[in-house]
Amino acid sequence: MHDELAAAFDAWLADVCPPGIVRAIDDGGSSATLWQQIESSGYLDALVPEAHGGAGLALAAVRPLVQACGARAVPVPFAETMVARAELARAGRAASDGPLALAELDDATLPAVERGTWLAALTSALIAGAAERVLELASTYAQQRVQFGRPIGSFQAVQHQLAVMAEQTCAARMAAQLAFASPQPRPDRTLAAMAKCVAGEAAAIVAAGGHAVHGAIGITAAYDLQLSTRRLLAWRTEGGSPAYWSREVGLAWWRSGEARALDFALARLDAGHG
Amino acid sequence: MFLDSLSLTRIPAHDEALRGPVRIFLERALAGVPTEVRARSWSGFDADFSRALGERGWIGLTLPSEYGGGGRSVFARFVLVEELLRAGAPVAAHWVADRQSAPQILRFGTVEQARRFLPGICRGEVYFCIGMSEPNAGSDLASVRTRATRTASGWRLEGQKIWTTNAHRTHFMLALARSSGDASSRRAGLSQFIVDLASPGITVRPIADLNGDAHFCEVFFDGVELAADALLGNEGDGWKQVTSELAHERSGPERIYASLLLLDEWLAWLRARGRPSERSLALAGRILAVMSVLRSLSVAVTAQLDAGASPLVESALVKDLGTTLEQFIPETIADALGEDPDAPLPESLARTLRYVAQIAPSFSLRGGTREVLRGMIARGLGLR
Repeated sequence: MHDELAAAFDAWLADVCPPGIVRAIDDGGSSATLWQQIESSGYLDALVPEAHGGAGLALAAVRPLVQACGARAVPVPFAETMVARAELARAGRAASDGPLALAELDDATLPAVERGTWLAALTSALIAGAAERVLELASTYAQQRVQFGRPIGSFQAVQHQLAVMAEQTCAARMAAQLAFASPQPRPDRTLAAMAKCVAGEAAAIVAAGGHAVHGAIGITAAYDLQLSTRRLLAWRTEGGSPAYWSREVGLAWWRSGEARALDFALARLDAGHG
Repeated sequence: MFLDSLSLTRIPAHDEALRGPVRIFLERALAGVPTEVRARSWSGFDADFSRALGERGWIGLTLPSEYGGGGRSVFARFVLVEELLRAGAPVAAHWVADRQSAPQILRFGTVEQARRFLPGICRGEVYFCIGMSEPNAGSDLASVRTRATRTASGWRLEGQKIWTTNAHRTHFMLALARSSGDASSRRAGLSQFIVDLASPGITVRPIADLNGDAHFCEVFFDGVELAADALLGNEGDGWKQVTSELAHERSGPERIYASLLLLDEWLAWLRARGRPSERSLALAGRILAVMSVLRSLSVAVTAQLDAGASPLVESALVKDLGTTLEQFIPETIADALGEDPDAPLPESLARTLRYVAQIAPSFSLRGGTREVLRGMIARGLGLR
């Protein structure tokens, strides 16, 4: 059922938010029409409890939606608004129309530490989506671009760069799944921290690899690659870089009192299963 | 794309339940074994330990009970292996038979072959090695030259293997040999043979490694006579048969945890000294984060194996990521410890670090080199 939801959402996004729209908004154009379509779609209330008129989806069910926003380089804060609406609803407060930022919510609605956890989870899933998109663009390009009389994807050096990008994309995808694995309404802080460490590292590697494979065309404004790689680099540090979240995981280990690495990991992973 | 297939999976509770009893057994069985010995991980060889494990039914866990196996799922084996690696248990004696040879004999062998070999394997008494690499056939496995020629009573084996792990202390080799054609035939004409290493005409020479251990060997076949039933599976199907188990060999916890004993020793040292430096805290966090994600990927591949799939590309991907972590751990821990050159290091930590750091290059060689794996992933992306 969740896969169907994700597929429907992605197909809808492809329609309302194609690369041309993303580019126009990135270039300073108005996002009013896109936002209007997003608001009337109902997806923004995916996490709002049913008692408050939302879809009441579990945390894990919305991860594919956030990932799709990453893959389609959605140039408006869909994910943050979706979370803010749910937090406001659970706090018994009305959400205003228009895009919301988690930073706008007061501490009583969303404590600062939980805001940080949310951002780690959201940016991890956005990175996973954007990384998939960059990998797809780069693999396709490597099969089409001919140099020395053959597609550049037939050269081992290029193949291995793409293989590393695939590995990192896969790691980011699993990281995003972990970030959204909690049965609670909010992400588990340590799992989200772990996710952002891994996804953040992946973001830099995949963005650099995507550009390396594309050559000069990837640097141009006219080519779609930049829509994703600029976001990968921004999401890598937004809400804390891998360096910040590594320290958070280290602190969680320290405070846990666990003697052994695996015991710490298994206890945290178990939190993701409830 | 193949990336979509790896979903976060929980190990079923009845398989997870195996963890407790295994952990209790291992704590008792390995009490007092120094960390740098445990750090040999799945390279540590101890026949007594293997027999003790066999007595508990913890070898051949996924094999059918009619052959002495446990009849359990690949998830149960995941839990067992994870605990063996956590403890640094010396599993090398039965490791290859348990992970590769027994499943291959079950899948491709005759009922007679299964009856002959599997019960001993499950008891922890019969050990196998894998005869694949040769002096001129490493990553390019299809160029093996060891030749099996038909005789009136079976086969005659001529040739040489190298880098055969534990050939000097195992009983049988599952050997890949050319039974027809020549080196230019490549993947065609290869067959698998179960070779009794006590047969006349076999010479085994261990090769010392840079740590002073001797685990891999040269093996020479000089007119070795094999019975007809030494052939495993169909003649000429050798390539298909040896590659069929690669997903099992490459995706398991043993591709993530080779440096786990070092990591634990370092974490314990950090705790014993009081609050770690910011740098050490961040490094510990980074390692634990990567480890947790890779463990989840490894479980996700296990779920595919459980469903009967053969996730070759996925397991190549997990192995490359996993061995990268295994090599990252000794390098960065050495760096963190060198942050304060005047702080005295406990001997145990120093010895464990030395061992793991020196052997770490082998992590991305054994079981398919990093470069071979990346080639397979590139094929999965449609580039080859």
